[in-house]
Amino acid sequence: MNRVFVTGMGIISAIGNSVAENHLALKEGKSGISKNLYLFPTKYASILPFAQVGISTNELSSKLKIFEKGVTRTSMLALHAFNEAVEDAGLSASIISAYGTALIGASTVGGMCLTDELYEDANKCEQGSDYTQSYDCASVCLFLQQRYKMNGIINTINTACSSAANAIMYGAMLIKNGFADRAIVGGADSLAKFTINGFNALHILSPETCTPFDENRKGLNLGEGAAFLVLEKEKDAAGKKIYAELTGYCNANDAYHPSSLSEQGDGPFFSMQGALQLAGLAAADINFINAHGTGTENNDEVESRAMIRLFNNPPAFASSKANVGHTLGAAGAVEAVFSILSLYYQELYANLYYNNAIPSTGLVPVQVYKKMPVQHVMSNSFGFGGNCSSLIFSKA
Amino acid sequence: METAELKLQLKKQIVEFLNLIQVKPEDIKDDEPLFGEGLGLDSIDSIELIVLLGREYGINIQDPKEGRKILVDINTMVAYIEQHRTK
Amino acid sequence: MMYIQHFNCISPQQNVLSNDMDLLNDASEKKMQAKEPVYESIPPGVLRRMGKAIRMGVGTALPICKAPALLNGIIIGTANGGMEDCIKFLNQMVQYEEGLLAPGNFVQSTNNAIAGQLGLLTENKKYNITHVSRGLAFENALMDAMMQLNENPTGSYLLGGVDELSTYNYNIEKLAGTYKEEAVSIKNLYTTDSPGCIAGEGAAMFVVSNDAAGAIVKAEAIGTLHSNDEKEVKGKLKKFLDENLCDDDKIDLFLSGENGDNRSLKYYTACESLLNSNTTVGRFKHLCGEYPTASAFALWLCCELLQTQKIPHHIIKKKSTEKEINNVLLYNNYKGYQHGFMLIKNCR
Repeated sequence: MNRVFVTGMGIISAIGNSVAENHLALKEGKSGISKNLYLFPTKYASILPFAQVGISTNELSSKLKIFEKGVTRTSMLALHAFNEAVEDAGLSASIISAYGTALIGASTVGGMCLTDELYEDANKCEQGSDYTQSYDCASVCLFLQQRYKMNGIINTINTACSSAANAIMYGAMLIKNGFADRAIVGGADSLAKFTINGFNALHILSPETCTPFDENRKGLNLGEGAAFLVLEKEKDAAGKKIYAELTGYCNANDAYHPSSLSEQGDGPFFSMQGALQLAGLAAADINFINAHGTGTENNDEVESRAMIRLFNNPPAFASSKANVGHTLGAAGAVEAVFSILSLYYQELYANLYYNNAIPSTGLVPVQVYKKMPVQHVMSNSFGFGGNCSSLIFSKA
Repeated sequence: METAELKLQLKKQIVEFLNLIQVKPEDIKDDEPLFGEGLGLDSIDSIELIVLLGREYGINIQDPKEGRKILVDINTMVAYIEQHRTK
Repeated sequence: MMYIQHFNCISPQQNVLSNDMDLLNDASEKKMQAKEPVYESIPPGVLRRMGKAIRMGVGTALPICKAPALLNGIIIGTANGGMEDCIKFLNQMVQYEEGLLAPGNFVQSTNNAIAGQLGLLTENKKYNITHVSRGLAFENALMDAMMQLNENPTGSYLLGGVDELSTYNYNIEKLAGTYKEEAVSIKNLYTTDSPGCIAGEGAAMFVVSNDAAGAIVKAEAIGTLHSNDEKEVKGKLKKFLDENLCDDDKIDLFLSGENGDNRSLKYYTACESLLNSNTTVGRFKHLCGEYPTASAFALWLCCELLQTQKIPHHIIKKKSTEKEINNVLLYNNYKGYQHGFMLIKNCR
């Protein structure tokens, strides 16, 4: 089977509008979380902290030359990151539209960032808005497909917070199974009144900036963003800039509860273990774990326990949620970019706002930026529905 | 409202709010545990019950952990409602 | 390539195989709603919270999961998941002004809740994924199953396609001009010559593996395309057949997703024109209505037809003289833009 390499990356998040900006912000330990949500009116705009991308929807629209009707912020964020990734990998327009180029996206919010418009269209049978065909998660990839006239396999995955990790995994499988020559994979989600109220109703939004893996963590902060990777076969990647090799991946289910993880963390344990097995690596080979680390009571404790169960003495680990918030359907791709940056630059970024270890696990995340040899990085993404996925990127 | 009357009203509200098909309000025993054994409710139900208390009785419970002490059985819920209701 | 071991379906119909069209359920108030059974396999404590899509998906899957813990994964295609719960939550948000909200609807509204619930109820901790690529959500799920079986040849997977018709997505699609303005009986669906289709819904589930023993149907190949150019669609289908059909093989049945919408007829006509007089042409949307994962219903129907080797009159558009059905080509498109081809073979 083919080996799969990452030859291009693109990202837009609360800490930057490009890979370079995100890289710098990570090194500097910058957080993009604040209490001044201006994207849409909501009761929580100045009450709860959010990680919003610093470009308004109008600015994005003109910057990206959007003339089509019904394009949502989620699609614009996706296009922004997609453009950077394909340019970075040097993919020409004809390569992007070739039959062998797949596009696998991920989203959980899709066009529902327009919560108020959706409410009107769903409940009132009068004049439809411009967005009747843009609310679903698929609308994001279909927009990219139309922009670039793509002819290959186009798919969207929604496994809640692990969506983009599964999109990356799926793209790699398409290449390995000969369904695609290359795959552009990633995810996008924007902040939405829908998700803000949903997570708030579950009492898992932190009233302050989140503190992943800290004893006194109070929940997560929602964020927004998009990230895409270009995956290519060994043959096509030869001679190009290669960021990393995708050596391992696994998707497993916790099968415990619709919205929280089991105490013993079977889902996280099996996804991490499966990824190691596929990569042919031992636990000790992993130098760094980019943890899911949302900052909720449940996730961080269970993830810690699963890491201990698998690694005994877990390697260096950190969560970037205090930098970019929880970007939901984009998180797996956003964090894949961060994991790859660690590999490419041989450095680790700090898990912000951590003070004391969770008593039952005693695990301490990376607290300061540091240079260090990194050969293999594992990236975790766990979501509602028990959907857990782990990826392993290795130095090429 | 008499305690007995409040208990039955609460049982009806719980059955309706949580859509407990196959459960008759009058079959819920006052000291039957709501979670685990007994009614078999879970953590999402506990949050929904806090919403029910807020909407029906004007009781504001911020911390779900506090909720766990109140949401033991019908007796504990009714005792709390009688003390803290604002409507 | 893979084999279908078990199949099950919840649809607007109960008598699909009858020749008597009067036994079919007609559209009511311009909708074809699924006839849901009593869900005996779903524990009442769990059923109480499920929206229709989850109920239909889980209720269709459980009866065919004989040894669920042995399945190597659960692969679901759904464009909208729990749409009704989604809007119910929105409505709560508006009614209570973003105040005290019950989270149940939110948790049930996520697209992956069907696969998640199935994992939970069958205690299956393996591969679990939800494809949501609108009109190709099921096709992508099927392709996923093929890849999983390629990587894990001794495994078996639960594969399904589910979408619900709620008041809310009906309203949205109505505003978008998806449905016919006029009420149409399914008896006249294909002769109305007006824009729009009839709204439908349903769930179809399959247990798939590489094991030919006991299987009735083999899913040979799958192809997809995004285009609104019928020439491109025809070209893609020709290429698909060239690649996947041996020289001396032929299509016995062309199962077409024609839906009575005169805007998308040209794609079906273009594809039909590639086939010769040896091919019977059949249609199925009068049975299930139109919805993004209707091709899952079509695959289920295909399994039934191959098993019985009889095609009810109401399905036939054009009959060939061939008696046996061995190779079926299933072609469906969603809104004239998302096209999917499946080559299905009789393997008994």
